[in-house]
Amino acid sequence: MSDPFVTAANSASHGLFAQSTRMRVLSENIANADTTGKTPGSDPYRRKTISFRDMVDDGDTGDGVDMVGVDKIARDEAPFRTEYMPGHPAADDKGYVKMPNVDMLVELADMREASRAYTANTQVIKQVRELVSMTIDLLRPGS
Amino acid sequence: MQPLQLFDTAFQRNEWLAQRQSLISANIANANTPGYKAKDIESFDDVMRKAVPMAVTDPQHLSSGDSAGTARNVNTDEAEVLESGNNVSLEEEFLKSSDVSRNYSMNTQIIKAFSRMLQSATKA
Repeated sequence: MSDPFVTAANSASHGLFAQSTRMRVLSENIANADTTGKTPGSDPYRRKTISFRDMVDDGDTGDGVDMVGVDKIARDEAPFRTEYMPGHPAADDKGYVKMPNVDMLVELADMREASRAYTANTQVIKQVRELVSMTIDLLRPGS
Repeated sequence: MQPLQLFDTAFQRNEWLAQRQSLISANIANANTPGYKAKDIESFDDVMRKAVPMAVTDPQHLSSGDSAGTARNVNTDEAEVLESGNNVSLEEEFLKSSDVSRNYSMNTQIIKAFSRMLQSATKA
């Protein structure tokens, strides 16, 4: 059986990775919030979504430690909104341009949540380090 | 002479706390995983009761199972289950985590006290 502190730090770092990937996807969405198509009537940027899954690490230890991993990055199939911009290169014959289905408010709320979860994971790593140093302090002479 | 069980028990408690911390960190890492259920460890009292069995002086006495060490269970009644089927509550996990920290600190202090006691007995 592996050291529970190591597995704890391991789970937390997997959490950090998952949340930072989520952050990446969110920033892609925000950056492309106004990306339209190039040719008349073509589709604009489609919002990306991310989901996580419980990854059980049986590895060489076999004690089934719960990690977290990115399940899949998919596309949001929600309909695009349209805007009337007749002069736009991507405008269709009626003058409407399809705009990405990115809702800034949703992305920002999601980003806040991702950052909270990221902080929670770093907090765990800090605490694990504290516990380990408490154990090491036992060896300190004259304490 | 009786073997000293002071250190043994204290270290077992520390190990239990470490296992608990590992589950807490798994819960926090999975705070956004759909369908994930928060896990917690069997309470230390239960583990001790199994690990330190009742004395059996007659074959008809009940024995108290094998020492299973630590097992996991899933709590479904503590946090509400969200739409995604995830019932991890970060607040609760932090509460448990600070509990672990406090107990761990207490335990290491106790171990230090034991070792001071031993030293004062062995030093001239």
